Amino acid sequence: MASGMQEKLYNPSLLSFFVYNPSFGPREGEEEKKILFYHPSDVEKNEKIRNVGLCEAIVQFTRTFCPTKPAKSLHTQKNRQFFFEAEDSFWIVMVHWCSCSVFLKPVDRFWSPEHSKHVFCKYSLIDTVYGAVLRQCYSMYKLFNGTFVRAMETGGVELLMQKLEKFFYRYLQTLHLQSCDLLDVFGGIAFFPLDKMTYLKIQSFVNRVEESLSLIKYTTFLYNDQLIWSGLEQDDMRILYKYLTTSLFPRHSEPELAGRDSPLRPEVAGNLLHYGRFLTGPANIKDPEAKFRFPRIFVNTKDSYEELHLIVYKAMSAAVCFMISASMELTREFCEQLDSLVGPQLTLLASDICEQYNVNRRISGPEKEPQFKFIYFNHMNLAEKSTIHMRKTASVSLTSVHPDLMKILGDINCDFARVDEDEEIIVKAMTDYWVVGKKSDQRELYVILNQKNANLIEVNEEVKRLCATQFNNIFFLD
Amino acid sequence: MDKDDNQEKGETEDIRSCDPPSVDPNLSTETDNCSKAECQNNSGDQPSTDPEQAPTENGHEDSGEFVVTMLARGKLEEQGVGMMGSCPPLSITGTSEGAPTHRDEDVMAESWRQHRKHVFVLSEAGKPIYSRYGSEEALSSTMGVMMALVSFVQSSDNTIRSVYSDGHTVVFMQKGPLVLVSVSSSRQSEQQLRGELLYVYYQIVSMLTQASITRIFENKKNYDLRRLLAGSEKILDGLLNLVDSDPSFLLAAVHCLPLASSLRDSLSQILQKAITPNLVFSILIAKNQLLTIVQEKTVIEDARLEPADVHLLLNLIGASSAFQAGEIWTPICLPLFNPDCYFYAYISYLDPPECTVCLLLLSTDKEAFYAVAECKRRIEEAMLTQSSLSLIAKAHCYSVSQVGVSDLRHFMYKPFDIPDHHKQLTQFTSPEMEAPYSTEEERRRLLDLYRHMHGRIHSSSRPLKLIYHVAERETLLAWVTSKFELYTCFSPLVTKACAINAITKLLRWIKKEEDRLFIRYPPKYSTTPNPSKTHDKNE
Repeated sequence: MASGMQEKLYNPSLLSFFVYNPSFGPREGEEEKKILFYHPSDVEKNEKIRNVGLCEAIVQFTRTFCPTKPAKSLHTQKNRQFFFEAEDSFWIVMVHWCSCSVFLKPVDRFWSPEHSKHVFCKYSLIDTVYGAVLRQCYSMYKLFNGTFVRAMETGGVELLMQKLEKFFYRYLQTLHLQSCDLLDVFGGIAFFPLDKMTYLKIQSFVNRVEESLSLIKYTTFLYNDQLIWSGLEQDDMRILYKYLTTSLFPRHSEPELAGRDSPLRPEVAGNLLHYGRFLTGPANIKDPEAKFRFPRIFVNTKDSYEELHLIVYKAMSAAVCFMISASMELTREFCEQLDSLVGPQLTLLASDICEQYNVNRRISGPEKEPQFKFIYFNHMNLAEKSTIHMRKTASVSLTSVHPDLMKILGDINCDFARVDEDEEIIVKAMTDYWVVGKKSDQRELYVILNQKNANLIEVNEEVKRLCATQFNNIFFLD
Repeated sequence: MDKDDNQEKGETEDIRSCDPPSVDPNLSTETDNCSKAECQNNSGDQPSTDPEQAPTENGHEDSGEFVVTMLARGKLEEQGVGMMGSCPPLSITGTSEGAPTHRDEDVMAESWRQHRKHVFVLSEAGKPIYSRYGSEEALSSTMGVMMALVSFVQSSDNTIRSVYSDGHTVVFMQKGPLVLVSVSSSRQSEQQLRGELLYVYYQIVSMLTQASITRIFENKKNYDLRRLLAGSEKILDGLLNLVDSDPSFLLAAVHCLPLASSLRDSLSQILQKAITPNLVFSILIAKNQLLTIVQEKTVIEDARLEPADVHLLLNLIGASSAFQAGEIWTPICLPLFNPDCYFYAYISYLDPPECTVCLLLLSTDKEAFYAVAECKRRIEEAMLTQSSLSLIAKAHCYSVSQVGVSDLRHFMYKPFDIPDHHKQLTQFTSPEMEAPYSTEEERRRLLDLYRHMHGRIHSSSRPLKLIYHVAERETLLAWVTSKFELYTCFSPLVTKACAINAITKLLRWIKKEEDRLFIRYPPKYSTTPNPSKTHDKNE
């Protein structure tokens, strides 16, 4: 089984992605009706039906052994399929092609699936990561389109298919599977560390705005792509956060980073009172002809099921989201009112925060322990922190460690998920890197140490030091 | 025994043409040319005799002690029971055989679904061959679905490997014309489950040989292999029980009974002297652990005996009490050594009726029963003079307290740097499981923990050197170096410093005791093969 050739795991690429509901075409000859969305669309109809049929068969087969916990993934020699029953009888399936490059043959430089027929590598994809990515695909769809069931109720299968096509066609292009890792499993939120005073200032700002503009239902406040305050439920916030930080903010960040005299600098148009502007809605508030639209999002889908306008307003590094019921029409006047109310206050607040932040940094001295590569996640408030990941852009999230080490973190995370109790797992990889995982209550901490000649006790001491400085209020097992 | 002959002949009339031990001379050449692709230890010069002759033709005219067993014909149980009357169905492996109930289990019931590990074997044509729980007949539609899944994926030039759900892992494996499926809620890695399926496959091969299986299905794609395996379900059941409860399978190593090296040497010498032409292996087992093994020089030059073969052998013997009846002479295939031909095994317990000490002599000569039986008598005599049996009875597994390290609850140690390593039988040592692992459930749980660490450390894509796991009920450390593999279990409150100290002490203790714990220098003998039975290397 093990080939003698050198193999290296390469990018898993998306082979296909489809949504189906087996109850839509139960009879022979009607199979095509089950398929609600299929990417790539140019695949032959019978091929689509076959692939969907296989998924159905696998799910049914696993139900023989446990009716309530059907299949989550299928591994074959050439690909991996992930299944997710998003809503009752609605299944989403993602198929990955795992490609390999074999270094010995120069022709493989132009490696493509056709050439790879004879070379299929051992998998090292972690199921939990891609299962999480698949669920995230659904959550993102649901954020902007509501549930499948509602779409069916509103406009039948046709409407649902339209929505799926419109959303996934674009969204799948933004998926970068090779950079998916443990953070996708967590789906966490980075919180911005603040002192009490500044936090209170932000709180009172939010309260003032919500009082003045009574239409506003929910508000969230972010600084520097990190969350400070949110009025939304956790599950909704985490997917909104992902959208903001990986899609909306990066799209609008380039002009801001440009220099003062750069032509890219957003048109301030004589308004020197504040630096606030709309990221969604009217790009230029001064232009009366310009049409604008706010994106609609759906929150609380399990109970109150609300459709809201999403207003994202930014001043320097501070960004605020205001959510207003979609049944309201948001006029230009309203936007101007919001702009004049929020703009100056937010600008002031943003510079306050910036100042405080710099002060804090000076006090605390040089960046705390930058040499520690770690990932921290708290299941209770979804707070995550990673010194391994560089800034997430729309395209890719860079890590400063080898992907295999990230997969080891994933393995440890799987082990932690098996039990409820607090645990500690320390491993030494073949490359002599040490990985330490600690679980305490609902918190997880992973540390990667590059200390080849250290032994277990030394590694333990190092990690204890890290915990003492960064996490001194959390009891981790010794 | 004779009374069974006619019954057999009548029964096997229709399958004689594709049955391995048929008298059809035309089939004899095929085994020589059979593909040895799967065989890891290619022993081309193995003087394999013609396995086509039905072993039932051997010595039927003999004394009542002499039982000829034809495992593949499934007469084993009938003969054994017929001879012994009502013998207790407890095998020496310690697993009680409640097997009859498995066959009748209701496959629709929740209890069937909740079994920890199902194993199914079916043919490429979807015909059921074996199911661990429930009868194959009742499960034929489930097996049909499995085969459909396999073929469906195959039709797009792909191979199905596994299916994961929250509760279960399903692993598919195809070996030649057989498809093996494991449905497990034990949370083991795919690699491990696959390894277990391989053991099931090899156990089937040990009864039929790979060449025969291939030939049978070539001739008749929808042949019902159960006809040849009837009666041997309990062997597969026993194997799967062992796999779950015995760490030797996980470690791919053999467990030796700790013995003073002087005693072991004297036993080895006794075996070394009692030889006959074509004798290849002489093995002495007590309490299902190895006492000593003596191997034929030239055979070992080319290929070593794999632990898996020893495990399969031990399971075969242990799975049935019929072997406790006097002397047994049976064809047996050692699948990793050579999957395509039979050895002939002489099996005899030296201490009836307790039946804890078993002598195993393997020959390549089908006709050598008398000569081999004579070896046994010589061995018995020598052991009597030396009172070996009473000395062996005193030997037993050691307690972890002998190591003298507090906090250490249990360990498994497998050395790599043994003399002549690539030719020697891989072994491991491990103490008794004591409190808090004194119940079946706790032992299973500890073994599951070891299995999990083994799976992580030997992962094919991201192997590790060391794992230290602090959990609620114990702390475990697994460590792989170029010299050894070690799994240790400590109390959960042990500090890292203590654990490291404990391991240092443990390694020192093992080094000190290694002559007692392991067979360090397995002796050899030389048996000139009978010229008329030798096959040329070039054939």
